[in-house]
Amino acid sequence: MPYHDTVTDMKQGISYCILVSILIMGTLLFSGCTEQSAPETTETIKIGVVASMSGPASTTGKDIWQSAELAANEINADGGVLVKELNKKIPITLVQGDDESTREGGIKAVSKLITQDNVDLLVGGYSSAVVSAHQSIVADNKVPYIISGGSSTAVSHRDDIDTSYMFFHRPNTDDSAKASVIFINEVVRPEIYKKFNLPEDRPLRVALIFQDSPFGKGQQEAVLHLIKEMDLPIEIVAEETFKMGESDFRTTLTSVKSKKPDLIYAVTFLNELIPLTQQAKRDVGMNTLILSIENNDDPDYYTGVGEYGDYTLMESRFSPYAIPKGSTSEMTKQFLDNFKQKYGGFAGMMGAATYESIYIATKAIEEAGTTEKGAVQKTLSDLTTDHMMEVMKDGKITFSPDYHESSFDLYVEQMKIDPAVGEIRPSIVWPESIKEKGFEIPDWYQPGST
Amino acid sequence: MDGNFEIIAQVLFWGIYSGCIYILLATGLNLIFGVMKIVNFAHGEFLMLGTYITFFLFIMSGFNPYVLLCASIPLLVVIGIIVERLCFRPILGTGKLNEIFVSIGLIYIIQNLVARIWTDEWKTIQSPYRDITLDLGVIYVPLDYLIIMAVTAILLIGLYLFLHKTWIGTAIRATSQDRAGAMLMGINVERMDMITFGIGAALAGAAGTLWAVSGQVFNPYMGSIPAIKAFAIIILGGLGSIPGAIIGGLAVGLVENGAAYTLGGAWKDAVSFILLIIVLIIRPTGLFGEDEE
Repeated sequence: MPYHDTVTDMKQGISYCILVSILIMGTLLFSGCTEQSAPETTETIKIGVVASMSGPASTTGKDIWQSAELAANEINADGGVLVKELNKKIPITLVQGDDESTREGGIKAVSKLITQDNVDLLVGGYSSAVVSAHQSIVADNKVPYIISGGSSTAVSHRDDIDTSYMFFHRPNTDDSAKASVIFINEVVRPEIYKKFNLPEDRPLRVALIFQDSPFGKGQQEAVLHLIKEMDLPIEIVAEETFKMGESDFRTTLTSVKSKKPDLIYAVTFLNELIPLTQQAKRDVGMNTLILSIENNDDPDYYTGVGEYGDYTLMESRFSPYAIPKGSTSEMTKQFLDNFKQKYGGFAGMMGAATYESIYIATKAIEEAGTTEKGAVQKTLSDLTTDHMMEVMKDGKITFSPDYHESSFDLYVEQMKIDPAVGEIRPSIVWPESIKEKGFEIPDWYQPGST
Repeated sequence: MDGNFEIIAQVLFWGIYSGCIYILLATGLNLIFGVMKIVNFAHGEFLMLGTYITFFLFIMSGFNPYVLLCASIPLLVVIGIIVERLCFRPILGTGKLNEIFVSIGLIYIIQNLVARIWTDEWKTIQSPYRDITLDLGVIYVPLDYLIIMAVTAILLIGLYLFLHKTWIGTAIRATSQDRAGAMLMGINVERMDMITFGIGAALAGAAGTLWAVSGQVFNPYMGSIPAIKAFAIIILGGLGSIPGAIIGGLAVGLVENGAAYTLGGAWKDAVSFILLIIVLIIRPTGLFGEDEE
């Protein structure tokens, strides 16, 4: 063999070795990405946490996981969950199921949690599209699943699979749309009409921008249905869709601007709402109000949107910065403090719901006296417990007999720049019972076509 | 009528802006393909790296993000050279399947590395010119987008001059046209591969910087969709053709935004591929492709 061929072969061999080494190092380095809290004893209650730890919804996924971890640590610090059939307290072990923000990832994660990790119970789930894809696996395996996301009624009201083991600890799209629409009609419309002296027979012009997903379409259908059913003086002047994960809304907003709306109703995820709001104000020059919904109430929204979020509105059920008065406020403050101490930041709404879900799960196991899935499912069906951080109807967490949905008291916040922190901060402006401030129309606001 | 014209002009403007990002991404990809004939699915990760390097330098220095192009472009050249040297050169000519799997592996490695360093939370940076809007007569446009278009034009002119007026550029073109012939003429084709890969990565990185400066959010997983579109663009424009990548990028930007306006945003991604299919039916080699490609 000629010398230069040998040298070339050697060089190639070295390069291959380096490449293989990098791949192995990469694998070893990142195998810790899904690190789970190890069981300290052989007896443990395994709770699978379905969260988008990677992909477009990873910010929310991290919030879900950290909040679940916080709840589990608190429970374990207290000795664990009392299981009567064993006559002792058993610690919780959380097992992470990364749905990768995709339907396929969700199927893979939930299958693994159920069949390989043998979890006793599942909590979490965010996107309706992702949750709907793995529901059938949960139905087939009959594992109790407390879902804190998946707000579309297409997820919780489906009749093609057995949803009896699924419990939805979140308002559905009908509930959040109803709160938003009532707020628009009872608060926004009168204020705008008074300020701009608009005729009462003129309907309020609302533009809908929604994600092309079960979540977005669920909200769209609910809004349209409510306006019709309640015969509200609201006209939907634009209905624009966008793909999940979209970050360029300039043309969509140009189209919306041409329809001259009085208000934009945005059904988005966090990573979509930030550019949508910024582009509406900065690039398209829209001087209108934007109302978004609860899943965006996350510290990253307040940081990311900057000054463009001034005067925006958000329907919510849990906020890192606005705590409703009443019996839930102490626990909320405690949760936020503990979260900040452990993770150095603020928890978002999905985190709060997951934290509560872990406590709901342990309460059900305690009341059932066993981790046997059928018994836990039955206990969850009949469970009534005091609300914790999110304000529930009648102050109780209980799942409806028909679709296993819990019922929330929702509110609307308005954002204002806080010069002290250089970011927007929310104040509750509706309903009357818990409002901190009145709804304000900014000076730069211009109503749509008169 | 005036109102409609204004809206159409505005939509065209957004189309040209999107086209600029696609042009830079696709030109880099096509340059690499033209010279090395490799399929690099990880090309979108260079765009993502461009956003993060700009973000990092912006946070550290507070410099104008456009000025940071002077730092991010050389850094991406170096990263591109390292990737070519370690990952693609050893498998060059061993089969397309190897290239595909190495590039898929690179996607995961780069994404996870970035997530480890900067976390996988969505990030944004703000341009210092974000509040400046110019009156173009028909429409008002933010200054940033005009700068982005100007920067894209400058980079493309620079690339043209480099490829046509320098010895290395001539050698790269010769390698692209006839690799064996170039080797016989004494050109170190492996060095040309390395330089080309570096330039291709830098163009994608520049697209990333412009993406970030325009106020779009980014996270470690944001490169995949633009990369898929860049592939569609180079097939549409013709494999290995730089004018094809430019025309294709602009066409996709305009068609996507036109579709978002007329059919709705949900159609944005689909129409680029509908356009691709139509062009391939009419002209299977793409707009500027040659028969042997």
